[in-house]
Amino acid sequence: MGEVAPGGGCLPPMDLFRSEPMQLIQLIIPIESAHRTVSYLGDLGLLQFKDLNSEKSPFQRTYAAQIKRCGEMARKLRFFKEQMIKAGVSPKGSTTEFDANIDNIEIKLAEIESELSEMNANGEKLQRTYNELVEYKLVLQKAGDFFHSAQSRAVEQQREYESRHLSGESMETPLLQDQELPGDSSKPVKLGFLAGLVPREKSVAFERILFRATRGNVFLRQTAVENPVTDPVSGEKTEKNVFVVFYAGEKVKGKILKICDAFGANRYPFAEELGKQAQMISEVSGKLAELKTTIDAGLLHRVNLLQNIGTQYEQWNLLVRKEKSIHHTLNMLSLDVTKKCLVAEGWSPVFATKQVQDALKRAAKDSNSQVSAILQVLHTRESPPTYFRTNKFTSPYQGIIDSYGVAKYQEANPTVFTVVTFPFLFAVMFGDWGHGICLLLAALYFIVREKKLSSQKLDDITEMTFGGRYIIFMMALFSIYTGFIYNEFFSVPFPLFAPSAYECRDLSCRDSTTIGLIKTGPTYPFGLDPVWHGTRSELPFLNSLKMKMSILLGVAQMNLGIIMSYCNARFFKNSVNVWFQFIPQMIFLNSLFGYLSLLIIVKWCTGSQADLYHVMIYMFLSPTDDLGENQLFAGQKNLQLVLLLLAGVAVPWMLLPKPFILKKQHEARHGDESYAPLPNTEESLQVESNHDSHGHEEFEFSEIFVHQLIHTIEFVLGAVSNTASYLRLWALSLAHSELSSVFYEKVLMLAWGYNNVIILIVGLIVFIFATVGVLLVMETLSAFLHALRLHWVEYQNKFYEGDGYLFHPFSFSLLDEEDDVL
Amino acid sequence: MGFLITTAIFAVIGIIACLCTRICCNRGPSANLFHLTLVITATICCWMMWAIVYLAQMKPLIVPILSGE
Repeated sequence: MGEVAPGGGCLPPMDLFRSEPMQLIQLIIPIESAHRTVSYLGDLGLLQFKDLNSEKSPFQRTYAAQIKRCGEMARKLRFFKEQMIKAGVSPKGSTTEFDANIDNIEIKLAEIESELSEMNANGEKLQRTYNELVEYKLVLQKAGDFFHSAQSRAVEQQREYESRHLSGESMETPLLQDQELPGDSSKPVKLGFLAGLVPREKSVAFERILFRATRGNVFLRQTAVENPVTDPVSGEKTEKNVFVVFYAGEKVKGKILKICDAFGANRYPFAEELGKQAQMISEVSGKLAELKTTIDAGLLHRVNLLQNIGTQYEQWNLLVRKEKSIHHTLNMLSLDVTKKCLVAEGWSPVFATKQVQDALKRAAKDSNSQVSAILQVLHTRESPPTYFRTNKFTSPYQGIIDSYGVAKYQEANPTVFTVVTFPFLFAVMFGDWGHGICLLLAALYFIVREKKLSSQKLDDITEMTFGGRYIIFMMALFSIYTGFIYNEFFSVPFPLFAPSAYECRDLSCRDSTTIGLIKTGPTYPFGLDPVWHGTRSELPFLNSLKMKMSILLGVAQMNLGIIMSYCNARFFKNSVNVWFQFIPQMIFLNSLFGYLSLLIIVKWCTGSQADLYHVMIYMFLSPTDDLGENQLFAGQKNLQLVLLLLAGVAVPWMLLPKPFILKKQHEARHGDESYAPLPNTEESLQVESNHDSHGHEEFEFSEIFVHQLIHTIEFVLGAVSNTASYLRLWALSLAHSELSSVFYEKVLMLAWGYNNVIILIVGLIVFIFATVGVLLVMETLSAFLHALRLHWVEYQNKFYEGDGYLFHPFSFSLLDEEDDVL
Repeated sequence: MGFLITTAIFAVIGIIACLCTRICCNRGPSANLFHLTLVITATICCWMMWAIVYLAQMKPLIVPILSGE
């Protein structure tokens, strides 16, 4: 549909003002070169394929098997990545040549995967054995200690007993003493025992359950292990106790074993004799050392393998993702009846035709195909996608506009003016050149380190700030400018451009606090007179000034919006919109709020005392009354009458004629259509579908009329409410200057007053944090949002339809963003 | 300096800026028009802001009353 574009509009072609002319092209690609062709088109990234198989499910499509294969390979790569992250190996890009054949890579990936998983399984087994041995060694040591101490005590007792026995062989010696002696070897009781480790947090419960289950017929000894032990089963580090439990009888043993299992207590064989224990310990230690070297060797081998993978990981990953996206695209093409060709359809910018053709030719040559792919332009009534060629400076602005709504195909793009007006309106609310410089430094930091930061992965907030660095840069520049206009540097004024225009009335200066100063010199040449700062009349003066400024800026921007609608109407050759939308809207807005702006300026220039509220209100309530003292210029009453009349006429002008004209046009076209030759109809329908948003096949008059009614009411009410909405410029700017002066006076100046270094430093720190946190971060954010709203609502609703859809070309450079989708 | 002189200065600065962008980044007619639009819009915005504040101070109805300290 690129043919419609040239001419029209109120400007010669301008970058970014209209979206690129697009065309629907059809490609007929021989099947043997299809893969390469799509791959080259992906490199080019200027063609959005249409899905010609949308009725087929993903499994019915031609290349479903290949996609599955790619998915499998991607899974393997993810597995490698996980393993690399676990092992602390980072993938690094290498420039080495590598085999780009996808089949070979598939085989290689499968080999590596099986090798890696085998290695993992072996390593796990070894590790488990190792952990078991470590536990076993602990048991041997701790339980050995226990046995050892018990034995030595028993020996001591024996000795004591014997000594007593020898010395005290007297009359007092009880006769039955022998039977009651503990540890008497003469009457052996067969005691069994189990040794092992139990997690420390469970040890108390373990003991209790053992006691209950055996009715107290056990003897449990526990010792804490100082360092956490790696559990062989779970592989986690846990605090554990070594226990030895003595019992009598096989039945009790069975119970104890079950309880041990339930508590996850690992048991280890343990010999009673000391000699055997020592032997076991040395045996276990030997085995441990042996295992350790084996495990280390295995780990080293594994790390080597992973490093090997790491050098090629990125390349493989990219290749697999490319391959997958190529097959996805191939699945969108339809197979020719002869099964020798694939047919593709897609949108592409008109300027890219040559590049697409080049890609097709190269693909045919490189894949030794006899026939090259055929490109032909199709005609369609479908609305093409919207594509703006942005650069790094304009793309964030385009992003702001797109997040409200993507422009209709070839509609006037608000971005062109937003690039300037957005940061300007922001700065009106954020006027302080001190803060502006801080913001500028932040933006410059991001801009200078642009190359480095853009390759890094940033967190959400930094990413957002980084993306908007050029917006912030512009906002900072305008803030510095408006800061000079408001004469505020961290809320402090400087007489930079001239001495103040105000002086005392007489030498004694007695009146200066009651009646005030008097203007003697010429008006302060640039910005606000510094004398206003801190005076009692500062707020009334600033409020009046900023309120009026908001209205003036607002009316100007709304007029710009309406003029943009004129550009649209001219571009789409829609004279109805010019005569019955643009002109009455201009008249309505300007006869009310344009007139208000005029009154404001006249009042400033003449210094009249007239009450503008009164003038505006009585313009409606009693337009014929005499203005009296509120008259600003001669003939004002008559002018007001005329303007009121014009505004009154403009409303039905907007409302009534357009639906009737559309109806008439539709009838005329309908009459034409049935007799017109066929190609013409196609053309005209194309044009119509593009130009006329209401031009559906069926013409519903009542619907059109209601639509127009809503549109008119919206505009009329909007003119009032939108103008009022611009007063947020005043409110936010007031809030900003008041906040910064509070921080300056109540924190910095207060601290200064104490004449104490420590208080001054504390005050300075508080001041810096308050300035950065509240003024530079929160105020920036709120001013940004309000500027956003003024653009989205007050400015764009005058002309912007925003019902288009974005151009999504098939491009390898966009693969990263689609990572989650695929 | 009166209103007209400063306005003229703004106009001159605007024209110089236009020429600068034309000379420094000349990237075809459509890009140049875009740059021109940006510079003109920026100049008009800045001028409006200055003009509003200047006009408001020309014949003041409120005068500064110093806070008695």
